[in-house]
Amino acid sequence: MALATEEKAKEKKGSQSELAKGEQRLAYWLLVPTLVILLAIAFYPLGSVFYSSFTNDTFASEVETDFVGFQNYSDLLSITFAELPQELDDSGQPVIDPDTGEPEYLSPVQVLPRQPRAYREVFTFGLFGNQYVLGATDADFVLSIIDTLIFTVTTIILEVIIGLGIALVLNVPFRGRGSMRAAMLVPWAILTAVSSRIWEWMFIDTRAGLFNIVFQNLGLTDGQTAFLANESFQLPAAIIIDVWKTTPFMALLLLAGLALIPSELYEAADVDGASKWNQFTSITLPLLRPTLAVALVFRTLDALRVFDLFQIVFAQSKYSMASFAYYELIDSQRLGYSSAASVVIFLLITIFAVVYIRSLGIGEDD
Amino acid sequence: MKRNWLVALIALMLVLAACGGDGGTDTTEDGGTDTTQAGDGGDGEEITLRILSGNVGAEFESNEIAADLFMEQNPGITVEVVATPDFVEDRLGQYLQLFEAQSPEGDVFQIDVIWPGDLAEHLIDLNEYGGADEVAGHFPAIVENNTVDGKLLGVPWFTDAGLLYYRTDLLEKYNLDPPETWAELEAAATTIQEGERADGNQDFWGFVWQGNAYEGLTCDALEWVASAGGGSIIEPDGTITINNDAAIEVVNQAAGWVGTISPPGVTSYGEEDARGVWQAGNAAFMRNWPYAFSLGNADDSEIAGMFDVSPLPGATSGQSAATLGGWQLAVSKYSEHPEEAAKLAFFMAGESEQKRRAIDYSLNPTIESLYEDAEVLEASPFFGDLFDVFTNAVARPSTVTAPNYSDVSSLFFNSVHSVLTGSADAEDAFLELELDLVDQTGFDTGSP
Repeated sequence: MALATEEKAKEKKGSQSELAKGEQRLAYWLLVPTLVILLAIAFYPLGSVFYSSFTNDTFASEVETDFVGFQNYSDLLSITFAELPQELDDSGQPVIDPDTGEPEYLSPVQVLPRQPRAYREVFTFGLFGNQYVLGATDADFVLSIIDTLIFTVTTIILEVIIGLGIALVLNVPFRGRGSMRAAMLVPWAILTAVSSRIWEWMFIDTRAGLFNIVFQNLGLTDGQTAFLANESFQLPAAIIIDVWKTTPFMALLLLAGLALIPSELYEAADVDGASKWNQFTSITLPLLRPTLAVALVFRTLDALRVFDLFQIVFAQSKYSMASFAYYELIDSQRLGYSSAASVVIFLLITIFAVVYIRSLGIGEDD
Repeated sequence: MKRNWLVALIALMLVLAACGGDGGTDTTEDGGTDTTQAGDGGDGEEITLRILSGNVGAEFESNEIAADLFMEQNPGITVEVVATPDFVEDRLGQYLQLFEAQSPEGDVFQIDVIWPGDLAEHLIDLNEYGGADEVAGHFPAIVENNTVDGKLLGVPWFTDAGLLYYRTDLLEKYNLDPPETWAELEAAATTIQEGERADGNQDFWGFVWQGNAYEGLTCDALEWVASAGGGSIIEPDGTITINNDAAIEVVNQAAGWVGTISPPGVTSYGEEDARGVWQAGNAAFMRNWPYAFSLGNADDSEIAGMFDVSPLPGATSGQSAATLGGWQLAVSKYSEHPEEAAKLAFFMAGESEQKRRAIDYSLNPTIESLYEDAEVLEASPFFGDLFDVFTNAVARPSTVTAPNYSDVSSLFFNSVHSVLTGSADAEDAFLELELDLVDQTGFDTGSP
C-alpha cells in the first residue's frame, strides 16, 4: 500500500507545473529560518554535549582540554558483580554475628577490585544463601539510574491510575464540574521549585511537619521520622510529591481523550445491555488508547529527566540522573564527564521513546 | 501517519530538552535581587555594581545597609545586593556559571575560605588597587590564605570557627557544667533531653549540628576527628591520615548520637536547620558558627539571654578543635568596573563595617584590633573569651589539595555521612576513603 502511494507521488512530481515547483521552492525558503533556529538552539548544543563527552573539559576553567575517547563512558558505566566470602576467624571457622546468629561476610570494600580502576559498592544482595555485591566505578551514577527508573515506573503507574479515575469523574456532567476541573489543575500550576519546598516542609523531621504530626497522632510513630534523610523513605517521598504534582496533567490529557469518545457508543452499549465495566473495558479503554499512549510518552520522558524535585529536596543525598549530571558539572567542574552522563540520559530516553512508539503503535490505527 | 510524525517530533523535543536540561534549571534557590536606586540612573556615568553574597541569618540585611552607606559616600554608583544559595556547593555553582560565561553580571563575590585556590583564575589581584594597605591590620594567616602566587585575591571579611552553644538555664536546672569532652556532652544532653521530655516538650533534643552531606559536615566531622587527635584528613605536608583508630572511634561515637541525643533528621541538617531547632528552644546544645549568637539573642528568639557559647568539646578535656571558616570579598576578573568594585570590597571589609557587623550580627572581625574594642566586646563578649579558638582554628586541607579540594571534601563528607546514616561502618568507610583519597590526590598515607 505504502509503496504504491509513494510511486504515485513520484509520478506526480514528474508532471509538476512550473507554478507548483515555484511554490515548493518558496516553501523551502520559508522553512529556512525554522531550520536555522532549530540548528542553533537544538542541534548545536546537543552536538557540543556529544563532543565534550569525549573530552576531559573542565567547567569554568581554562585548564587544557584533552580528548579522552570513551574514558568518561567507561568510568560512568563499568559495573562488576562479586561474591562476598564469609568472614573467617583465625582458626578458619566462619564468624557468626552474636546478635543475629547470621554468618558475617567480608565488607564490599575488601572484595571489590581496586586495580586498574576502583569499584565501589552500589548495593549488596543475598541469593541462594550467598551474599553478592554490585560494584561500579561510579556507584552514584549507577544508583541514580536505578533510582530514576524506579521513580519513573512507579510515578507513571500511579499517575495513570489516579489520573484516569479523576478524568472519568470529571467527564460526567454534574453541577460545578467547571470549577472542579479548574481546581484539579492547581497542583500542576504551582512551580515545582515552590511545591518541592512546600512538601519539604510537610516532610520535615520534627513535629513541625504535617506528616510527622499526623502519624504521631495516629500512634504510628513518635513524630520524629526523618522522611527526607532516611534512605528507605527518600524515593517514596519523591514519588508522592511527583504524583501529587503531575496527576492533574495526566487527568487533563485523559479528559481530552474521553471527550472525543462519541456518546452514541455508550447509548448503543446500554441498549445492548452491556455492564458499566464492560463498557469501560470495551469502549473507553480501546478508544482512549491513542491519548493514553501520548500521555505515557510525555510523562515517561519527563519523569526520566526529573531534576528540580531531586535537586531541591535531596541535593546530594539522593541523585536523579539529571541532578547527578548537574552536580558533576557545577560542583566537580567536570564538564566532559557531566556531558557523558547527559548523553547516557539522552540515549536512555531515546530508547524509551522508540520502544513506546513501536509497542503502543501510536498513530498506526488510522 | 501524520500523527505518528507529530508524536515522534514531540518525543524528540523532550529528548533534546532532557539533554540541555541539567544545567539550565538552577533558578530554584532563592536568588532574590534587591535594587536600591540612587540618583536618576539617566546619565552616562552611572555605574552599577553587583555584589553576590550570602543569605544565612541576617547577612542579606546587613549587606543592604552596607550598600546604602557606600552609595551615600559614592554618588553615581548603584550597588545591587544579590542573595545566593545557603549551601556553599550551590553558591559555588552559581559563581562558576557566571565565571564560565565570563559574565560581567557579578562584580564583587563573597568567597569561602576554601576557595581562593580554586577560583584564582577568575579573580583580580587586589594589590593592583592598593590591597596591601587595606589588609595591613587583618589576621596575617587569613591574608596568607587569600594570597595565591603573590596575588591578593580576596580581602578578609569575617572569620568563623565552630562553637558549642549551650542553654545556661537548662544546665542550671539540671545542675550541670558546660561539657568539655564529647562523653560529658552525651551525658548532659541525655539528662536534659529526658528531663525536658518528661516535662512535656516531646520535641526536645539534646544536641543539634550539621549532618547533611555537604561542606558543613566536613567542618563538623573535622572538629570531631581533630579533637580526638585523629589529624586533619590530609595534613599540610600532604600525608593522608584519615584512616586511624582515633578518627574511626570518634565518628562511630557521633553516629551513635543520631536518633538518640540528636534528631534522626540531623543527617539532613545544615546550619539554618540546626539553628531553627535551637532557636525554637528545642535543643540543649548546638554546634554552629558565631553568627547564631546575635540571632539567638534577637527579640523573636525563644531563647534570648538563655544561652552562652564555649569551645567545642574534645575527646579528652582541653583537646578541643574548631574548624576555620570565614568569608572573603573578591572582585571578578570579568567586572567592567574593577576599580570601583575593589573600592566597594575594601569599604565592606573595612574597619567601620567590620565593627558594625560584629556588634549587630556577631560576625567575627578579621581585624585584630577590633577584638579589643569595648563596644564589640560588650555586644559579643565571647569574642574576647574565645579569642584563642578563633586564632587557633583547624584549617580544612584546601591549600594542600587545591584545585581538587571540593572533590576531596565531598569524598570525606559522603564517607562520614554513610557512617552517620548507618549504611556503612566507620572502619570500612575510612578504609575506602583512604584508598579514594590516594587515587584522587596521589599523596601517601601516614599516621597523624
